[in-house]
Amino acid sequence: MLKCGMSGSQVKVFGKAIQALSRVSDELWLDPLEKGVTILFFKLALRSLNSSSSACGYVLFSSVFFEHYQWSASKEMNDDGRYLNCKLEMKSILPIFRCVNSFERNVEKCKIFTRSDKCKIVIQFFCRHGIKKTHNVCFQESLPLEVNFEKKMCCNTLMIQPRLLAEAMVLFSSNQDVTLAVSPLNLCLKSAHGKSAADLTNSVYSEILVGPDEFDFFQVGLDTEVTFCCKELKGMLIFSEATHVPMSIHFDFPGKPLALSIVDMLLEANFILATLTDVPSRARFPQSLCLSPAGKRSDWQQSNSKAGQRGTHPVPECISRKTTPKRLCPRRSPVKNSAAEVLGSPQLKKANLDDIHEMPRSCVGDTEDGPNSFSRKKFSSMFFGAVSSDQQEHLNRPLASLAMASDSEDD
Amino acid sequence: MKFRAKIVDAACLNHFTRVSNMIAKLAKICTLRISPEKLNFILCDRLAGGGVSTWCELEQENFFSEFQMEGISAENNVIYLELTSENLSRALKTAQNARTLKFKLTNKHFPCLTVSVELLSMSSSSRIVTHDIPLNVIPRKLWKDFQQPSVPEAEVSIYLPVLKTLKSVVEKMKNISNHLTVFAILILQVIEANLNGELNLKIETDLVCVTTHFKDLGNPSLASDDASRDRDPAEMAEVHVDIRKLLQFLVGQQVNPTRALCNIVSGRVVHLDLLYEDVSLQYFIPALA
Repeated sequence: MLKCGMSGSQVKVFGKAIQALSRVSDELWLDPLEKGVTILFFKLALRSLNSSSSACGYVLFSSVFFEHYQWSASKEMNDDGRYLNCKLEMKSILPIFRCVNSFERNVEKCKIFTRSDKCKIVIQFFCRHGIKKTHNVCFQESLPLEVNFEKKMCCNTLMIQPRLLAEAMVLFSSNQDVTLAVSPLNLCLKSAHGKSAADLTNSVYSEILVGPDEFDFFQVGLDTEVTFCCKELKGMLIFSEATHVPMSIHFDFPGKPLALSIVDMLLEANFILATLTDVPSRARFPQSLCLSPAGKRSDWQQSNSKAGQRGTHPVPECISRKTTPKRLCPRRSPVKNSAAEVLGSPQLKKANLDDIHEMPRSCVGDTEDGPNSFSRKKFSSMFFGAVSSDQQEHLNRPLASLAMASDSEDD
Repeated sequence: MKFRAKIVDAACLNHFTRVSNMIAKLAKICTLRISPEKLNFILCDRLAGGGVSTWCELEQENFFSEFQMEGISAENNVIYLELTSENLSRALKTAQNARTLKFKLTNKHFPCLTVSVELLSMSSSSRIVTHDIPLNVIPRKLWKDFQQPSVPEAEVSIYLPVLKTLKSVVEKMKNISNHLTVFAILILQVIEANLNGELNLKIETDLVCVTTHFKDLGNPSLASDDASRDRDPAEMAEVHVDIRKLLQFLVGQQVNPTRALCNIVSGRVVHLDLLYEDVSLQYFIPALA
């Protein structure tokens, strides 16, 4: 159960987070914990074979952000000890925070509390002139979600004042795919053209070069170009204007997700965006999660209550239920062979099979070749970073530590 | 075929941007005519727009610090390019704090107008922005479609009232009917020796008839020597047009023009002749058949 209170200016930041997320996703998950409240979103969107605007992310408001914060374990917990998560429709919650800019002036206090026995969140605004507005928003219970991405392990890390980046992003419209190209000399943001001739002849190609001196931190370990949908980036930029904290961008090679991050003492926001892979054939390799060498698990998992219902292999299957890691991947011989191919060295074979336990079922064993199978594989490769033979060296080292990580995983 | 031009002055850039915005509001596709002295924006919605045409002209030396062009041959030293007007206005909009703006005709897989801007960002370091606007080069055999429309001999020529007021009136009238009658009267007041003008806009349906009278509008021929001409004490002209064409024109007006004239030829055309400092815009609305 959650009970927290905020002042007018604090609820403005909270409302801005919701507004930023509304541009990206139609649903929110609210996860109140002892350390603070996390608002998460997940978006799986395949627009076409060549582009995707899938993203996930969260904004964590730590308990010290609020004027007062109280969280207590509710009586209902599911069988493995995790607390229930609230799933909210954006269209129910966004209108409540629509006039965010006037909150500072008009709202003296805001209280939010949940009652899980009634599946409701109550948001109360205590405004000037003694006006009190109460909103009751119903939520759906949902299985716990978590977003984990090891951003420190990315080769390229940039940090920039959001205002400067927002100026550059004005060139591109929200639904466009944008390519971010870096070299140690500069950063280039440019429109990503589709492959079809129609795309080329009708649309304007725009490009902006930004020098490294505009960044607070500019570390480019790998000259690369990554392509993603700029909607989420714009959403994050809107939120960051409310916080006055520089935004950092972490990325590697195409196909590996790109992370946008804002960290400050009171809150933390991370948006993870899918990036396009260069070569379509990569999608045919069985996917493995792009894992960090830190010995820590860095993967992305989503529990999806629908995954169980669907049974066979739709896109959300690429994600596992956190609660039931053991039941995941039935061992199938194609899986073993292909995993070995991909991950290379035979001595790691055994370790890999253990890994597979953690890996989402269909990502590895997707033998079904339905009409959508290409697009699904492409999607999962975009998100999880398809591993091709070129990248074996890159990942071989990390895999050694994996064997240990996987055992400690299942607590 | 070559074209290169550069703008370095902020005021010129703003003015050019405003012109481009206005063109973008008037029609989706526009033709850019480039000649050694002038730049024209030509819009001919002959098929879609029911015959409305626009001719916008500016002297290149009033805007560009550098301007070089070369047509396909010395005799035909003109270039006609067709592009989506909004693409140009959006590219210019992003160049608001530019140090310099350069235009160049390029061929990157297909003909483009490359706009490259050196921007001053908030952190006061330079950024380079490039836009490649795709376009079509209009072949010489089609050039005759893009000639300057002949200015008709107006029966009545009258200064327009404040465009913002005109726009709000026309917008409301559109809700009643699409068929607008534009009716202008000039009355010579012998005693005061001036020509007083009245512009009337009338909408009529079975149930209602609404007329808006704009009075005390002047007339440009006041300055000319009246004595030499036979003047009727009252001159009138009336034409029926589609109100949406007039409204579309008014919606695109962001700034007050330096001079705005309305010339009417009864039963034929409403010719709007505007001047924005040094840029002239002519808009022809044909009469409804």
